[in-house]
Amino acid sequence: MKSLVEFIAKSLVDDPTEVVVTERHRQKDVLLLLTVAEEDMGRVIGRNGRVASAMRTLLRVAASRQGVRTSLDIVERG
Amino acid sequence: MPEMRTSLEVIAPSVEEAIAQGVEELGLPEDELEVEVLDEGSKGFLGLGTRQVRVRLTVRIEEPPEEAPRVEVPPEMDDEEAVRIAHETVEELLHLMSIQAKVAAQWGELDPPGKIRPLLIDIRGDDLSILIGRRGETLTALQYITRLIVGKELKRPVAVVIDIEGYRARREGQLRRLARRIAEQAIETGRTMSLEPMPANERRIIHVELKDNPKVETISVGEGNHRKVTVIPQQEQ
Repeated sequence: MKSLVEFIAKSLVDDPTEVVVTERHRQKDVLLLLTVAEEDMGRVIGRNGRVASAMRTLLRVAASRQGVRTSLDIVERG
Repeated sequence: MPEMRTSLEVIAPSVEEAIAQGVEELGLPEDELEVEVLDEGSKGFLGLGTRQVRVRLTVRIEEPPEEAPRVEVPPEMDDEEAVRIAHETVEELLHLMSIQAKVAAQWGELDPPGKIRPLLIDIRGDDLSILIGRRGETLTALQYITRLIVGKELKRPVAVVIDIEGYRARREGQLRRLARRIAEQAIETGRTMSLEPMPANERRIIHVELKDNPKVETISVGEGNHRKVTVIPQQEQ
């Protein structure tokens, strides 16, 4: 699941070296945190959040194959 | 050749939102559309008399002859490259989603209304309903992400159409028949008919199916997931 988000994000941004996905587990929930270069935020979010929402939809399929629940947050580099 | 036009009217809270919706529905970039604001709307007073913005988007199908000729057909190498990239992208996405399926990619026929030749990707396998999703939602997401990745790789926008186990063709046939039936009903009764709420790509099939029928006009109304096509009978001239 982490690798799915990584692959999509790295394919869409101008600077793939800045793509970082971290995974946090809590029982059957997996939280994925995606950070990208500031200039690339728009590319992984999309107009009206369309890219982010498409990533979440595909992620749901991957998660259900593994019997877990997942959520994806795109976070600003802090 | 006379310039053919196809247009779409969009009603939305603001001009920007109307354009964004139109762009999505027609599946064409904003710079290929001509925008005409029919009604600038009104904020109303104390929430009374609020009127939404009405915008007409017109697609220019024929390029004006005086413009420099465009490179319409990409060179052969680029052609094969695009098919290879599209194929690899979808295979990788499916692999990462733990889905086993066979992927085939090829260039489609030139779509007459859009002048853009789409990359067709066919996915076959056992029990892929999870990959189609409710009302084709997952299929739409997969197609969108694939289009962005392939477009980014090729450094030019591409049209991508993904089908899974013949779902899209089946659904498109259903929608075209539905469009013609509803148009007949609208003409017969002289009343505006509404269809069920549908995603943008499905609404587009209805608009395209009925755009050459002078007896009806089609408009999308409503917001977000409730957006639906209405079919309006036209007065005979």
